[in-house]
Amino acid sequence: MIDVQGLVVRYPRGEAVKGLELRVEAGRCHALLGRNGAGKTSTLRALLGLLRPAGGSIRLFGLDVARHEAEVKSRLAWVPDAPAFQPWMTVAETLTWTAALRTKWNLDVQAHLLSRFELDLDAPTRELSKGQRTQLALVCALAADPELLVLDEPTSGLDPLVRRTFLEAVIGVFQDRDPQRKTILVSTHLISEFEGIVDGFTVMANGRAVLTTQADEARARFCRLRAWFDGDAPESVPMKTVRPPRREGRMLELVVDSAPDEARSWLAQAGAARVDATALTIEDIFLLAA
Amino acid sequence: MRWLVDYHSGVPIYLQLVQQVKAAVATGTLRSGDQVPSVRTLAEDLKLNRNTVSRAWSELETEGILENRQGSGCFVTSTVTPLRRAVRTERLAAAFDQVIVQAHHLQVDDEALRALLDERLRHFRKTRRDKAEGARE
Repeated sequence: MIDVQGLVVRYPRGEAVKGLELRVEAGRCHALLGRNGAGKTSTLRALLGLLRPAGGSIRLFGLDVARHEAEVKSRLAWVPDAPAFQPWMTVAETLTWTAALRTKWNLDVQAHLLSRFELDLDAPTRELSKGQRTQLALVCALAADPELLVLDEPTSGLDPLVRRTFLEAVIGVFQDRDPQRKTILVSTHLISEFEGIVDGFTVMANGRAVLTTQADEARARFCRLRAWFDGDAPESVPMKTVRPPRREGRMLELVVDSAPDEARSWLAQAGAARVDATALTIEDIFLLAA
Repeated sequence: MRWLVDYHSGVPIYLQLVQQVKAAVATGTLRSGDQVPSVRTLAEDLKLNRNTVSRAWSELETEGILENRQGSGCFVTSTVTPLRRAVRTERLAAAFDQVIVQAHHLQVDDEALRALLDERLRHFRKTRRDKAEGARE
């Protein structure tokens, strides 16, 4: 579905993306995580055909984005982080105008989402709040019945209730028909609310992918172990840890990215009186890797 | 019933749902003929990918714990599990193996493990009995 190889995006001030590899299968939800300036937005813009890459190839739906621009664009939709509309148009006019530009438009989806979001059809878009703009952008994206939905920092700056309805709409409406074909690529640094939706993720830093993994696999591998000893905690630790072991009196804390059971077993053999193991969430892993 | 997903347990999300249904059936919280939430409802409530809930439900269908009645939803089956005895024993043995490995890592010896199994069996029997009495009242 998404196949990016060796992507390079260059600006006059330097390279924003330096040889990115990204593969996402149809029906999956993949997150692109990274701090500000890691190259997420440049990657998305290249994917959406909004800028020309300096190198590498991008294929969506098996098609080269540069050569099949019209077809690719008809099969995807995106919600930008700061959606902009023609300020003089009303919500209703914006929907009609957007519908005219798309090859597909589902009026049932439009009506359903409008009732969920309580958007006023007669309101001029310049009077919409940030949350309402994002909701309108989501209606425009989902009514177009895309196969690929690209979300760029979709929920940052929104209040919790709007974030919640946004996610429910993505799960309830976008994934409603043919979920095996509906792919989501979401770029975000607020990952916790996407924790249950994301199947896999890529952490970007300095224009490169530093970690790509499936979410379930990551949660099974990455683990924080805290062990309490009757005497002093052991001086040296035989296994590889993601960051240096932390000691606090009789407590030893290890963070591992593989074989947490072996680490647990070693701690028990080293004489730990008690061991607590907590799998890391995607957000924890992102903070470690980025 | 209250559904929970724990992102700190390290257990795949679909498997957490499978285990919750199995535990609910074993303790009598869910009884044969009870309806479980639709994929869409549960996914929206728990903010989960629908494919994750679908996977859990279809796994439970394959194991004969849930049945999908076309058009009316997903229900706990009324018949006993259709799996042959040998298959059932084999599955259970695999589950026991995991427990034994865990016990080893936690330095729980054989005797303590046997005692714990008895204790848990008593606990489940009691919960089932309480639920049945609660239902009659």
